[in-house]
Amino acid sequence: MKKIDLKKLKQLDVKKLAKDFWQGKPHGERRLGELYEDKTGLYKHREWRGVKDTFYYFNNIWLYNYIMMVGDIMKFGGPVIFAKGLWRYRWMGQTYLPVLHWFDRGLEGLRGEALRASAWHYRAMVCVTINQFMNMFKADANLHGGKHNEAWHHSIAHKETVWGGIFYPWADKFTHIPLEMIPYFVTCHVNNHTVLNYIDAVQSIGLPGDPCPMCQAEAGLFVQDDMPDYAPFVITSNEACDGSVASTAIQDWFMNIPLFAMPQPMQFDDPLVQEHCANEIKECWRFIEEQTGVPFDWEQLKKNLEKQNELQRFEWEKWDVAANTNHYPINGVAQALYRIYQSQYGEHYIWHDTDKRVRKILEKCVEQRIDTFPMTRHRMIAWSCAPLYYSHWCTWAYNCWGLNTIINMDSLMFDMEIRTDNLENTVMDMAKYHEWAPMRRMAVGGMHHIFELWENMEKFHCDMVMMYDQLQCKGMQGVVGLFEDEFRARNIHAIWMPHALPDKRTVSRAEIRRIINDYMTTVMQEEPLDPSLLDFDDSESW
Amino acid sequence: MRDLKHLIFFENLLQEANNDLVKQARQEGRYALGYTCYFMPEVLLDLPGCFSVRLRAPRCGSPEMATYYMSNRTCHYGRSLMERALEGGFNFLDAQLATETCTVTCRFQEHLKQMDVIQNPNFFCEFTDVPFKKTENSFVHYRRQLQAHVLDPLHEKFGIDTSDEALLAAIAQHNEVCRLISEIGAYRKLDNPPITGYEFHVIQLVSLTCPKDLILPYLRETAEELKTRQPELRSPFRIRVVLAGAENDDPYFTQLLESCGALVVADRYCYGSLPGREEIHVAEGQSPLDAIARHYLSTSMCPRFMPQEDMRGRKKYLADLVREYHADGLIVASNKFCEYWSYERTMDALILPRDFGIPTCSIEKEYVNSASGQLRTRFQAFIESVEIKKIQEGAKK
Repeated sequence: MKKIDLKKLKQLDVKKLAKDFWQGKPHGERRLGELYEDKTGLYKHREWRGVKDTFYYFNNIWLYNYIMMVGDIMKFGGPVIFAKGLWRYRWMGQTYLPVLHWFDRGLEGLRGEALRASAWHYRAMVCVTINQFMNMFKADANLHGGKHNEAWHHSIAHKETVWGGIFYPWADKFTHIPLEMIPYFVTCHVNNHTVLNYIDAVQSIGLPGDPCPMCQAEAGLFVQDDMPDYAPFVITSNEACDGSVASTAIQDWFMNIPLFAMPQPMQFDDPLVQEHCANEIKECWRFIEEQTGVPFDWEQLKKNLEKQNELQRFEWEKWDVAANTNHYPINGVAQALYRIYQSQYGEHYIWHDTDKRVRKILEKCVEQRIDTFPMTRHRMIAWSCAPLYYSHWCTWAYNCWGLNTIINMDSLMFDMEIRTDNLENTVMDMAKYHEWAPMRRMAVGGMHHIFELWENMEKFHCDMVMMYDQLQCKGMQGVVGLFEDEFRARNIHAIWMPHALPDKRTVSRAEIRRIINDYMTTVMQEEPLDPSLLDFDDSESW
Repeated sequence: MRDLKHLIFFENLLQEANNDLVKQARQEGRYALGYTCYFMPEVLLDLPGCFSVRLRAPRCGSPEMATYYMSNRTCHYGRSLMERALEGGFNFLDAQLATETCTVTCRFQEHLKQMDVIQNPNFFCEFTDVPFKKTENSFVHYRRQLQAHVLDPLHEKFGIDTSDEALLAAIAQHNEVCRLISEIGAYRKLDNPPITGYEFHVIQLVSLTCPKDLILPYLRETAEELKTRQPELRSPFRIRVVLAGAENDDPYFTQLLESCGALVVADRYCYGSLPGREEIHVAEGQSPLDAIARHYLSTSMCPRFMPQEDMRGRKKYLADLVREYHADGLIVASNKFCEYWSYERTMDALILPRDFGIPTCSIEKEYVNSASGQLRTRFQAFIESVEIKKIQEGAKK
């Protein structure tokens, strides 16, 4: 039996122990890196955040979300079709269980209102995700013996980069479901191993390794026959890049259903392009009318756009708090993923439920002047396209270095309300909205837009830039030198983060951390807040 | 075969973007207008008082400065153009008429706009938005774009006459070039053509990079010469191929392929003549600009077109070329980092053999033809496989 060391026992600060138990350890003493199992990133035990927050996390986040995940399955289609989909599709089978680990990664170290508000964003994304894949499965001919059921006839398929608002005129009669949003985009965040299979699949038919890996993965889903057959026709888009246009040719080959291409003009600042883009949207609507036999419904469009405008207005309020105070209760990853998901997918009741809850928290933070991220050393803006397999890098960066990501480029897209006073104004605004989609507006759009970084740095009072360096994005690679020139000229601290969007094999999470660590120690000459997070192996982690 | 009379002259013209004919035209007081893509109608840049130069970066080595600006993970063509611009090789340009039709050439042209690269006080860079479809909405949009971003700036900045009469004159000159190139190219359909793929490639390139009026006399003479040019008694080539793919302004690539035994009988790539050298027809009552806009959108076979019928039609077009030019196979070559052609090439390599029974060789190359040994091995293997197939088919018959 181990002897009790009385000397040590006497040295214990009981008061501090009690305080740590009740409130959780202060930031510098947490040693979060010691919680992980080597390689897998699984926790040895749950993070102790103090009594109140630990129980909040367990009951209101962990348990609540498990219950809601079951509830959503029941609500959106039932366990039988869910089980069939789980069995049939690799992306589904590999990502349903790790969902709560995805929460853990993104919300690590958070306390108080920041924990609560960020978690509500995660909950909303899970709900919409379940809704989408259940809609896919309900309509999927692959899961119904090859038969095209009613749901199949009432579904509209579209590239994930086509904004869901295009389909509002049929919102009460048809369900729009993006092709790749769940099988590729969401799964990649939840379990970063899943997508590798699809990239390999498309390369196995001869595609070189250098095109954008997002487009590769999206095409690979079809090569692997891992895409539900859930709709009679499809709408495509050229957003964001050459790869997106080109990969559609592969998808078309496999889908072999009527296809309408709805391109967005490339030179979108030119006032002349608006009419062209608006006409493309109108032609798309005519195509849908022809395919479905159901006429365009202005009232539905108007109603849904007005609801969406509400979301936009609240987003602006959030940005205002983020930009001008230290009371913003949403961490970098929750802000980024929620915003891109909500604005790209379009109207859904859960966004409104979430915004209501977040508004309460936000107002409380502002009224009570709560410093939501008290260990912030640098306010960061993250620019260009983020690594999907490590979107939670900003949680790590705050815990380890006090780098607080206030805003990111993708969040700033779709930055507008849409007029609903008459159809012409509405379509013109919708055209502009669509042109301001993620990546189109800045990363691959006109060069001057990409340099809106400087004004956004100022607006959000940021003193550092996390410059995402998507190695296979030709649009961004094509401007790296000018960024370097500007960073030097403006004396801005910028960390270049190389990555390959969904493909963790090119630059691992550990390598990303090493790059940030090196910059912080050599250039910034700073000490980590939590040294246990400097170096760990999570190569096998979801 | 006897050498073509002007071949060495043509080859020399391709050694520099600012070649002797370009210099001559500038000395005559004409404006040099650069462009990179078929979607910028060269005919509009060949109005009286100016001339078009489709940009190339011949003899470009390692593009070090451009790599700083555009990284080493972008298409070598775009970077080579950037390098040449930074070296001062494009200072003769008075304007760049740009299109955002593929990402990296767009970025190159944006650098011309953003940075003080071209040392020419006249210089400006203007972008045209090019649609992705061939619908009425696209035609109208494209025509407006060409008016606003090509004709209007040329008129305002250089005083170029952009009237319908001037456009019709430019179309007439352009059509003569097209007629001559098509006439020369049509010899390649013969069993034993009096012109090689390399020679044709050189001729096509000079027609893109020199002032039209100055190159026309040479083209006319070459077309005349070919009427009586005697090919070798027995073709030295083992097979005939259609060469398709991404940007290719390197005639030595064609020469390399032909040195392995494959005669290039059709050129379906950016800077090639199929499509590209079809005449522009102006219908009665139609404005010349409308005819030009419709012509360039409807003739293009660029993988940038998104509608289903275009994506599928491109495969058929290639298969038709193989038949029309009596080719034994198809070589699809894409430049490394070219996203459009990476996918298109992959699809072609799968669909053309499967659905059309056409042997297809898929190649990835650099703008600068540096991996010639590896390419030679690939070509030789492909040629042998096609030959064996032909022997086996002969035995069956």
